[in-house]
Amino acid sequence: MKQNQFVQLNQARWEKFELLAVDPPKDMPAEFSASYRQVCHDLATARTRHYSPALIAKLNNFVSLGQSILYQGEGIQISSLLRLFKNTFFQSLFENRYYLWLSFGAFYGLALLAYLWVKLDPEAVYYFLDVGSVKNIESMYDPSGSSQNQEREAGSTVLMFGVYIYNNIGIAFQMFGGGALLGIGAILPLLFNSFYFGAISAHIVNIGYESTFFSFVVTHGSFELTAITIAGAAGAKIGFSLLMPGQYSRAYAIKTAGSSVLPLIVGAFIMLVIAAVIEAFWSPLNIPNIFKYSAGALCWFYVLLLFYRGTKYGHS
Amino acid sequence: MQHHGLDNKIFVKLPEGVSINLVPAGVVVRSCAYFYDFIIRALVFGLIAAVLVFLGDAGQGLMLISYFIITWGYYIALEARSGTTPGKKRYNLKIVQDNGLPATLSNIIIRNLLRPADAFPFCYCLGIITMSFNKNYKRIGDWSAGTLVIHQDQKISSLSKNSNITQESIPKIELAIDEQQAIIQFFERSEKLSPSRQEELANILSEVLNAKDQAAADKLKNMANFYLGQKV
Repeated sequence: MKQNQFVQLNQARWEKFELLAVDPPKDMPAEFSASYRQVCHDLATARTRHYSPALIAKLNNFVSLGQSILYQGEGIQISSLLRLFKNTFFQSLFENRYYLWLSFGAFYGLALLAYLWVKLDPEAVYYFLDVGSVKNIESMYDPSGSSQNQEREAGSTVLMFGVYIYNNIGIAFQMFGGGALLGIGAILPLLFNSFYFGAISAHIVNIGYESTFFSFVVTHGSFELTAITIAGAAGAKIGFSLLMPGQYSRAYAIKTAGSSVLPLIVGAFIMLVIAAVIEAFWSPLNIPNIFKYSAGALCWFYVLLLFYRGTKYGHS
Repeated sequence: MQHHGLDNKIFVKLPEGVSINLVPAGVVVRSCAYFYDFIIRALVFGLIAAVLVFLGDAGQGLMLISYFIITWGYYIALEARSGTTPGKKRYNLKIVQDNGLPATLSNIIIRNLLRPADAFPFCYCLGIITMSFNKNYKRIGDWSAGTLVIHQDQKISSLSKNSNITQESIPKIELAIDEQQAIIQFFERSEKLSPSRQEELANILSEVLNAKDQAAADKLKNMANFYLGQKV
């Protein structure tokens, strides 16, 4: 068949298809998929008959338009993020349990080391922090006129909420992304943060401010610290998939690692948002410490239970 | 996936049994798109900041939140919605999966959260190096998410407008399909070529065509017209 005839025969159908594909109506008529398959067929025919490149390009465009309508993504909605979290987070915890345990162990192990070091040698805190920032932290948790326990104005509460969102989630995302650099971008910040955390806690205990400090951090710490270790593990897995692809090609290994840890970083994101809300609106409340410690204990119990059951059994 | 010719097209086999070709977008056009997006992001943040700066501490907090959303959320939200961003759209780029299907939310999140790795140590150095060393121009985020950035909508030249040559005489020479396609491509591109360049190209065949310069070019166009049968 000459190209001319071929075009004449199908022109009307193509025009109808183009009308639907270029400006897709809200509810697509059912025959769209059939006419899409017809166009696929036309493209294959045009290719084998070596029709003109322009005709082939046109049909090629039709096919890619059609498939982008038929197979379109779900778009972005909070509900789809939550579904991703709910359906796959625990599976992903289980799949990556070795990374998670390692990251958990490394984080708290190093924090404990730093804690013991500074506890036994109080001057050691100045190895990692300059005098200014130590003074700054001391003034934050000073029980007499503590800035953490005084009733804040509404404005500064929102300011702190912004800081926590921007800073903490930013760190988690940086760790996840930096992890692709052979894991280094995830492990270094993770260890740095754990060391810093341990050293500061010990210093606060040394100067006797622990009641303001621990009552402040205990509740949101459950979500925040766990989320940071999860983000670190997720980033490290991507990096290690490049270092040790096993029996796969590196291209395939990094791809599977990416989709396997995605629920983890989404979960870490959700946990950090929860932590930021708690840290900005609950932790600075001026209420007896017993409430804060009970809430903290509940949160820790809940988070650790989820973490344990996820990594242990693969479902909640 | 196989690569074809100078155009660096990828042929992707679809579940429908045909293969379509995709043209991956290179470093330069993607950088341009990035700068365009960057300017938009800066403007949006500037506008938000200009309002929030009057709100004191609360304004600063909201400013940090909006900065966070604009840096991380801009790409994720827009790409998940339509597969492009304003910058990419301007250069007719689109994100698809390796197999040519529209990218899903998961793909988009991964490819954008891995930007820190591509941006390492500054100015997307590592990303540009990674892109330059593979034929599909994938940066690290693209590798991990399994996505491609492709050129969308290659212009379909409408042939009827292309020329005033109407006479279709049967060519005296039998040509193979490849050769026919070469002549058709000459015809389709002739609009973009200067007349002297057209003649220069046509003169390569002057011996076979028994004509020179403009006459040879016209003869070739006639032949192309015949092969095409004029309609698309």
